[in-house]
Amino acid sequence: MTAAPRPLASDAVRRLTTDPGPWLSCDDCFRLVDRYVESLLGADPQPLAADLAAMPAHLAGCAACSEEAATLLVLAATDAGIDSDEALRRARLS
Amino acid sequence: MTEVRHDQFAARQTGTPPAGEDWIAELTSSGSVRDDALRRLHALLLRGARFQVSRMSALRAMVGAAQVEDIITLAADEAMVAVLTKLGTFEGRSRFTTWAYKFAVLQAAVELRRQAWSRREVPLDAAPALIEPRPSPDEYAEGAELAAAVRDAIDRVLTPHQRRIALALIVEEIPIDVLAERLGTNRNALYKSLHDTRSRLRAHLALEGYLAPTTRSPGEAR
Repeated sequence: MTAAPRPLASDAVRRLTTDPGPWLSCDDCFRLVDRYVESLLGADPQPLAADLAAMPAHLAGCAACSEEAATLLVLAATDAGIDSDEALRRARLS
Repeated sequence: MTEVRHDQFAARQTGTPPAGEDWIAELTSSGSVRDDALRRLHALLLRGARFQVSRMSALRAMVGAAQVEDIITLAADEAMVAVLTKLGTFEGRSRFTTWAYKFAVLQAAVELRRQAWSRREVPLDAAPALIEPRPSPDEYAEGAELAAAVRDAIDRVLTPHQRRIALALIVEEIPIDVLAERLGTNRNALYKSLHDTRSRLRAHLALEGYLAPTTRSPGEAR
């Protein structure tokens, strides 16, 4: 079955043309995501470690990994008694 | 209190482990100590799975309440197996609880996406044709030319496979796990296709003058 014609909305245009950044697989994102979210929760966040540098672009481009990372960040922040809002904004997660 | 906890994350970033994390020792011991640690771990994973599902309201509404509970329990059980299987790979570079949560979060998200889409048809033999949307005045002013250029580029520079994957994920908004299952592939492979598609579209649109060329630092992998 062929899908019905669809409009290309402005949000789809933006997501299709997002800079994909350096390659990082979803498996590697999963391997690194616990360290990445904790790096965002420090009181004075440091520059990302070299092996975490591709995480922001991956999370900007992969809706599923982004959705899961946002949840993990909120869980880690809540357990630590930290407000997660600033870290979510910093990571551009929601 | 908050500053103390912030300091724990800061200490972790510098490689100093915070006190009070006995999970590995307890989970690898025996008897009542291990049994208690297993109970606490399962409770933690249930919490992680439940929280993930609670944040996916649109998909949660597509499955019944009883099924949601089944998904949470199944996700926690599967995450428990994954955590215990991979216990030896935990490097202590994050809190153990953060590391463990991610297995429950992944399992819950994947299972809810799968269940919510289980009765929905996913057209697999061809991507949809793209038609011109009816933009608002603002959208028209800001993006109509780019949208037309993207539509043209999708048809001209992408392979049929890239076009199908990109439109399924971005335009039809089929969850990547669901699409992977229907196509007999995995999340990595589909994301690689989307990554390559974006690179190809951006290169073409830069040549046509619609986007600034992408620049990378010399050591950055593509």
